[in-house]
Amino acid sequence: MKYRNLSIWRNIDKPLLIMYLLLSVIGYFIMYSSTFKGLDIQSDFWTANYGKQLIWIITTLFLGFFILLLDGSFIKNTAYFTYGFVLLLLILVLLMPPIKGARSWFYFSGFSIQPSEFIKLTLSLSIAKLLSDVGSRFQEFRTKLKAFFMIIIPALLIAVQPDPGTMLVFACFIFVLYREGLSGNFLLIGLFTVLIAVVGIFLKASNSVFHLAGNAISGNIFFGLILILGFIFSFLIIRYFVLPRFRKQKIQRLIIITLLGLSISGGINYVYDSVFSERHRTRFQIMFGVKEDRKGAGYNIYQALSAVGSGEGFGKGYLKGTLSNDKYNHVPEQNTDFIFCVLAEEWGFLGSFLFIALYLSTLIRMILIAERQRSKFTRIYGYCVSAILFFHFMINIAMVIGLAPVIGIPLPFFSKGGSAILSFGLMVFILLRLDSERKVVLR
Amino acid sequence: MDPFKNRQWVVVLIIISVGLIFSFRLFYIQVINKDWSERASQITSKTENIQPPRGFIYDRNNQLLVGAETIYDIYIHPSIIKPKDSSAICKLFNLSNDNFQEIIKNASTGYNVPYKPSVFIESMTQKEHAKISPYLGQINAVFAKSKIDRGYPNSIAAHLLGYIRRIDENQFENTKAQGDFFYTKNDFIGITGLEKQYELLLRGERGNINYLKDYAGNKVETVNKKPPKPGMSLYTTLDTELQKLGEKLMANKIGSIVAIEPSSGEVLAMVSAPSYNPSSLTGRDFSDNFKILKKNDSLKPLINRPVYNDKYRPGSIFKLVQALIALEDGVILPETGFYCNKNIIGCHNHERPNNLTKAIKHSCNPYFFQVYKRLIMKDNSKNVFQTSREGLEIWEKKIKSFGFGNSLGIDLPEEKSGFIPDVDFYDKWYGKKRWAFSTIYSNSIGEGEIGVSPIQMANLASIIANRGYYYTPHVIKKTANENILKKFKIKHSTCVDKKHFEVVVKAMNEVVNQGTGRNAKIDSIEVCGKTGTVENKTFNDHSVFISFAPMDNPQIAIAVYVEYGTWGSKWAAPIASLMMESFIKGSLSEKSIEKANQISQAVILNPNTDFK
Repeated sequence: MKYRNLSIWRNIDKPLLIMYLLLSVIGYFIMYSSTFKGLDIQSDFWTANYGKQLIWIITTLFLGFFILLLDGSFIKNTAYFTYGFVLLLLILVLLMPPIKGARSWFYFSGFSIQPSEFIKLTLSLSIAKLLSDVGSRFQEFRTKLKAFFMIIIPALLIAVQPDPGTMLVFACFIFVLYREGLSGNFLLIGLFTVLIAVVGIFLKASNSVFHLAGNAISGNIFFGLILILGFIFSFLIIRYFVLPRFRKQKIQRLIIITLLGLSISGGINYVYDSVFSERHRTRFQIMFGVKEDRKGAGYNIYQALSAVGSGEGFGKGYLKGTLSNDKYNHVPEQNTDFIFCVLAEEWGFLGSFLFIALYLSTLIRMILIAERQRSKFTRIYGYCVSAILFFHFMINIAMVIGLAPVIGIPLPFFSKGGSAILSFGLMVFILLRLDSERKVVLR
Repeated sequence: MDPFKNRQWVVVLIIISVGLIFSFRLFYIQVINKDWSERASQITSKTENIQPPRGFIYDRNNQLLVGAETIYDIYIHPSIIKPKDSSAICKLFNLSNDNFQEIIKNASTGYNVPYKPSVFIESMTQKEHAKISPYLGQINAVFAKSKIDRGYPNSIAAHLLGYIRRIDENQFENTKAQGDFFYTKNDFIGITGLEKQYELLLRGERGNINYLKDYAGNKVETVNKKPPKPGMSLYTTLDTELQKLGEKLMANKIGSIVAIEPSSGEVLAMVSAPSYNPSSLTGRDFSDNFKILKKNDSLKPLINRPVYNDKYRPGSIFKLVQALIALEDGVILPETGFYCNKNIIGCHNHERPNNLTKAIKHSCNPYFFQVYKRLIMKDNSKNVFQTSREGLEIWEKKIKSFGFGNSLGIDLPEEKSGFIPDVDFYDKWYGKKRWAFSTIYSNSIGEGEIGVSPIQMANLASIIANRGYYYTPHVIKKTANENILKKFKIKHSTCVDKKHFEVVVKAMNEVVNQGTGRNAKIDSIEVCGKTGTVENKTFNDHSVFISFAPMDNPQIAIAVYVEYGTWGSKWAAPIASLMMESFIKGSLSEKSIEKANQISQAVILNPNTDFK
């Protein structure tokens, strides 16, 4: 036993451990600052938000230490079971009374549990297990289908809560699947879709009108025409410059892509007009700068950007923020989704840049760790963790700095919330544990 | 070998590019573009004016005339109203449910937001507040905040003190145009009286506070504070007791009393009747009361008659001026006598005015007709029109040296100039060379076109008391700004030599002792006075009396004008006498108190009164 512990410690990835601990500590201090109400205001430490958060962090470290003692095969073998268990919780949570309009939490006296945070962890393990099983090959359609359902079922359950932010995170598994051999076209199609969607929504939100031969036509029809023109142009290129034996295949793809583009564009037209409520439309309009509504729907982002901008080069100093903390309370959700404001305000661009650098280094470190595994299970799991954290980071920061519409999603290691702290911490500890066995096992 | 190993770099590249995009974006909004930083300070920082307390006003004995009164604004905080509160609020403030809903709506819309308290009852008096305050503690959503308003512990001298009100759009723009940026649209400004005259002293200097606020606008941390400089106190020349007595005597009458200390020009009392309670023009009831006083009262109680009403004809008191100028000109001697010839101008029956003293004592009209004739028609060899013209030119200048026809320069904004007819006036009225002494003789006895304000009448009494000079009557006694006081220290001399005054003073003493003004006699004090009865065709004549006392070393000079008071000695003389007795002796005798009460109860009003 003693020997084994020693070997774990020797083989554990110190850089990642240090990065994780660093993020946790910084995250805690930022979170403390966000709840800061002034030095003169005394409240009972352990019942205050920052006290609770500390309890969760200590719990996480304790459980993390416990995980380091577990055997890697145990973690792998229980993957489906834990996945199934959390999936059950996701179903049960829908029976709970809604809080802030969403049925996402189990409430106990004093604290609450959000199962959607834990499904990310168990789903990662399950996907890793599924794809790394000796019997399954990713190239087979059946495997892909299994993986797809494994991901989409919890995603849909979360959509029902509703928690669109967390649901969006499940898209991150496309990176994992891509690494495991999913055609790169999916990434491209994904990018293409996003691009068309952004242009489409922008045209709708801004109510653009173009003039063509004296006729005023709406932006989206104009966009469709451009897509068709692009199609004809590409078609002519293929017709004259591509060798005949490749032509058929290329033209097939071109048709698919064009139809996809047209249908997405048309779909957005429909969704924007018929599915979106006025509230959503306003959010997009604000995001694209078409509309300024700093008192209504645009309030959050206006306040957040002001807080971020007011940090300027070097920030106002720790605990000296004047917008994003509980003392001033100008930024809504400053303890949770908008916690980056606190960092940006108090540490300025310098702090924000170092934060981004540290955060992304951690993610890249995870990918490097994943890539050095002989065990396929660990590699896939490492990718899952990195991708999940990356998506959280990307969506959260993009929202705070006004590059994405407001979507509620926590910033791992920073945002207030026990379930997230625990779940993300355990993800990292499991990765550390699995990685420490890299020389021993081949799974 | 893993065929997809190199795909890790695609993923890493995506992560790095997201990091770069975010860094550039942050660099833009934090370092390059300062807009967001500015917006942040707009969100957090707030500068508020701190109102300086307005200066107080005291009387000559440091008794408070205008001070501060605590009043209460009642606030309501809609977002914390509990269901059980609403019925309690309705009961406490006597509201119907609809009223209550409307209040909530007002407190939640427009400038008001439900999560912040806003005023729903403004300026509650201390008395009203005392009634509800025990219950306020039980309702969290409603509370009272005190503030300071003008308070009038003595409730006197409303006209003289003036009132303040919230600055209106015009005034606001005007002050700005004049480079005065003191006011905000919520500020009060002096509109009349001393409040207007000494606005710059009384208002003080504004302070400000710059603080950081939280999302609800609450002050969290003070960044910078400049305390306000309170307005300066004004020490006036008024004598509260005398003013009170004057207002009591003039109750139920229309007219004025002005009392001046001759040796300094200090105004001791200035009564304008009808009067009003100055505190009725404060607080919440201002507009209601103002409407009543301004529009619904034919007696025009808001007008400060002693300085504003310059259309009064002086009547017989003007004979004193005529006598003095005639003596100075040498057209009469003290011994000069005339017949009381009632052919041209009426008179009452009295002994023959064979000298000036007797003429004044009995206020003989024909005598002063002759005096005026000598003043105007000096050169009988000339054409009658020409000589009248030249005579009037000289006469007008001399009259004006007594402070008539021009504003005296008292420190009250309402003062008007009065009117002494001159050559131009009659030229315009009758045409050049179309008028002569025979046209204008009614000036001789203070009738005709002459217009004099009560303050000018009092000033005349003061001039005679001083035997030939006056200080500009003024209300301010002490203030930190010495420059203001300078002009009140300048001695103004009349065109008449000191020696001529003694005759007139003696005659005025006779008036009180044996003549028309016997009603003004005071035990053990030598009083000098002159009655006047100003003709009024629509109703009773007006009653005028000017006076000073004691004869040697005078302490008080006074003018009393009681409209429709029938004749000079009937109302004006006793009123002046009581005022002087009170001031000189410090109190009234038993008999005088009784007399004062009788006068106070007498109602002398013309139901059809209306003047412009």
